[in-house]
Amino acid sequence: MPKKRVKKGKSSGRQSKKRRSILRYLLNLFFKLSILGVVFCAVILIYVDGQVRQKFEGKRWELPAKVYARPLEMYVGQTLSQDHLRKELSQLGYRVVSSATGPGTVEFATSRVRLFTRGFAFPDEIEPSRKLLIDFSEGRVQRILDENTQQSLALIRLEPVLVGGIYPRSNEDRHLIRLEESPPMLKEALLVVEDRDFYDHHGVSPKGILRAAIVNARAGRFVQGGSTLTQQLIKNFYLTSDRTLSRKLLELPMALAMDFRYEKDEILEAYLNEVYLGQSGVRAVHGFGLASQFYFGRPISELELHQVALLVALVKGPSFYDPRRNPERAKARRDLVINLLADHDYVSATERDQAIAEPLGVRESRRMRSGSFPAYLDLVKRQLLKEYRDEDLSTEGLLIFTSLDPIAQAHADASISGVLAELEQRHGERAGNLQGAMVVTDPRTGEVLAVVGGKDTRFQGFNRALDARRAVGSLIKPAIFLAAIEQGYTLASVLQDTPVELRMPNGDIWQPQNFDRQSHGDVLLITALARSFNQSTVHLGLEIGLPSVIDVLKRLGVERNIQALPSLMLGAQEMSPMEMAEVYQTLAADGFRMPLRSIRMVTTADGEELSRYPFQLRQQVAPEPIYLIRHAMQEVGRSGTARSAYQTLPSALNFAGKTGTSNDQRDSWFAGFTGSRLAVVWVGRDDNRPLPFTSTGGALPVWTQFMHQERSESLSPRRPDAIAMQWIDEASGWLSDPMCEGSRQLPFIQGTEPRFSVDCGQFAPVEEPPASESDSGGWFRNLFR
Amino acid sequence: MNIGRVLVAVMGGLLLTGCATSNPFSNIPVEDRSTQRSSQTTQTAPVTEPASGVVVTPMDPGLGVRPIDVEPIVREQRTSLPPADEVWQPSAPSTPQTPSQSGSVDNAAVVALLDSAQQETAQGDLRAAQTRLERAQRIAPREPEVYLQLADIKRQLGQFMDAEQVALRGVDVASGQSNQLRRLWALISQIRTEAGDLAGANDAREEAGRH
Repeated sequence: MPKKRVKKGKSSGRQSKKRRSILRYLLNLFFKLSILGVVFCAVILIYVDGQVRQKFEGKRWELPAKVYARPLEMYVGQTLSQDHLRKELSQLGYRVVSSATGPGTVEFATSRVRLFTRGFAFPDEIEPSRKLLIDFSEGRVQRILDENTQQSLALIRLEPVLVGGIYPRSNEDRHLIRLEESPPMLKEALLVVEDRDFYDHHGVSPKGILRAAIVNARAGRFVQGGSTLTQQLIKNFYLTSDRTLSRKLLELPMALAMDFRYEKDEILEAYLNEVYLGQSGVRAVHGFGLASQFYFGRPISELELHQVALLVALVKGPSFYDPRRNPERAKARRDLVINLLADHDYVSATERDQAIAEPLGVRESRRMRSGSFPAYLDLVKRQLLKEYRDEDLSTEGLLIFTSLDPIAQAHADASISGVLAELEQRHGERAGNLQGAMVVTDPRTGEVLAVVGGKDTRFQGFNRALDARRAVGSLIKPAIFLAAIEQGYTLASVLQDTPVELRMPNGDIWQPQNFDRQSHGDVLLITALARSFNQSTVHLGLEIGLPSVIDVLKRLGVERNIQALPSLMLGAQEMSPMEMAEVYQTLAADGFRMPLRSIRMVTTADGEELSRYPFQLRQQVAPEPIYLIRHAMQEVGRSGTARSAYQTLPSALNFAGKTGTSNDQRDSWFAGFTGSRLAVVWVGRDDNRPLPFTSTGGALPVWTQFMHQERSESLSPRRPDAIAMQWIDEASGWLSDPMCEGSRQLPFIQGTEPRFSVDCGQFAPVEEPPASESDSGGWFRNLFR
Repeated sequence: MNIGRVLVAVMGGLLLTGCATSNPFSNIPVEDRSTQRSSQTTQTAPVTEPASGVVVTPMDPGLGVRPIDVEPIVREQRTSLPPADEVWQPSAPSTPQTPSQSGSVDNAAVVALLDSAQQETAQGDLRAAQTRLERAQRIAPREPEVYLQLADIKRQLGQFMDAEQVALRGVDVASGQSNQLRRLWALISQIRTEAGDLAGANDAREEAGRH
């Protein structure tokens, strides 16, 4: 239009003057517009540059906290079976091979294992990757040899199993990798498939766009995009879900700005960590590092060519090419990637053929990890939330080192689900929907090793181990008997197991019964506990008084308020398995209360310590009374209510424990410990209905199964100096002698031994005193001479 | 001394026979010979001194009380002594798992950790030493040396309460190893001194002297 006017204007002078002014006006306008445009572009560039820098140099990603299990320590002389090692390595995703040549591989032979470890940067020390030859014999580690240096090592640590994370609200999960960590061919494959000119273009590639246009035109549909990796990264970084025009328009300048500002390798590394590669439940799998774990269960650096090719194939559409759902489609695209690599001479024809012959080899499970530890993670998170903000936990990439023992956890899971399934089958309808919970600790350190929150051990739900408060039944009895021993009772004190009536605060009369509905008359204190007689316990409890029982419970570790009701004697008090574990931990640790710990240390993503949870303890009960009560709790297994445990456990395995069945058989409990493991088990129903079995039928088999699988160490408490063994007459509680009928040996705190003795002629002058306990009844023997 | 106590108890018992029905232990049969013989055997009865340092809880006086007119309890003799598994004892005393009577640690892994911890302590890196000692504790939870060093770290960190308790736990696991017990009690004495508990420190020093 303006051109026409200009032509017209040539016909007259006036018009030419006018023409000149229009021209000037237009030039002026153009000039102003240009300035405006430049300013506008500059503003956009500054804005874009700012955006790019902010994202690139600030915190690029919300990183979930990583929760690690305890690392498996291996040392000479350690009790460790090849089987346990195999389980641990399987959780870590080690490959069992015929010749261990790289990190993450292991070779098993009859009595030795060649193990190529991955190494791990622990907060205290870097554990290097090493090629080890480990000799086993009789279930013990005999020697650890570093094959590269030919040196024997006293102690090594495997890397800890990553057991979970604390995720941000965006539900993005990623495992950051550095470009150097990426396996061979990852970079090449990515570039050859997605952006061949990556190292030559300036963020956008006209050549690429042109090529894509030609390909698309030929095919008659959209088959190839012309976006560079930089553009794809921009899209993922800034232009997430809403695809508005303005955002689309920003993509170009942003790509240019990013390319201008940053090194190609930096951009590539960001791309490797950002790209979306799959979906694990609600959680989006981002980056090649996590995708490698998600699809193959091993670190990215250990991937082989065909696996690298599959991950690169997925970039185009993780859902469309999902190797689990659409394996053929995925294989076709994977092979295309391999062929492209061969076409561009990155791999040889043989390598190509080998890689194409490989199956996809993807882990079946869509769950991120081989193990699943929801109940334990719940415990960890609750402890963390006392000190950290939720936001920091889910975005700062903190490292949380816990004491979770994945092998013990697997055994606990298997014991609960195995026994409950069997019980439901055996009792059918009457069992109803059984539930169970379990807490496992190391009695020597107070560390929590495993937590089971319910029958479905893999899914997070109601965490019964922490939140189900149920009547503890006879699990309370060791506290009552301990209070009695502190007041001067002995294991040989004679208690009355006779009917008892109590008037309750509401006026009701309460008549506790024994389990067998009989009264047993005079019984020794040890027998009353071992066989869990209720009536004698109530008599004893009334004698020593509720306040002293409550005092002992508090010292043992009960923190909640305990109501001083006579029904406390029979365990009407409701407590969670975790609370009972605290109490039994104190009994197991010689009277030292050790608050149970699940976290060892929290560090930043770089391994800088933020908080630690050190070993702490307080002596709450003297070792002598503890020794006696533990002796009685061992009798529970040897001759008492838990003796069926020895149908499964070897008789050489000493343990101390207590059965517990609440009123009307609504709860089945067992709490007990060996030398190296403490476990509290609860079995019951969420609707609190009676069970068709007692403690011995429900919780005890779970406990026994677990201890059997753990092959835990025998309990062998050292006898305090002030404890003396004496022969006692079972029926009267008087002193006796090994040669008298009805005698048994019991420990006493010195000075509390019975003063009277039965007589079976042992005081008559005899040729030789019995060899074993020559001082048995010592001064008494003299007394009667 | 014990006999004296028996006498007191029996006298008390005689006085209390009237109200014996309220005594939960009143139905326990009584051996009357004791009263008659105790006086004449006073000189022969070796008195069992309780081990020093141990608080002996006095017996409930009711336990020894028995009416005087009940027959002694007589039992048959066994034809053979109880078999070994009936003489089952929860602990085989004086068979420590680690033959560390001399105070030396036999586990190479623990030795290595203790050495590193000592170096770190010498360099003033107490937290690193603490981490290492807790690692050693998990491997050898019955090794007194671990508790000794861990307690000493906590002492140096000024955590006297924790330090003392860890050392007491060391005493607990060290039972029977006099060398370690002496060192542990000496450390407890030092901790208590630094914490200002001079009387307690003195007790601990005496305890150390006993081993």
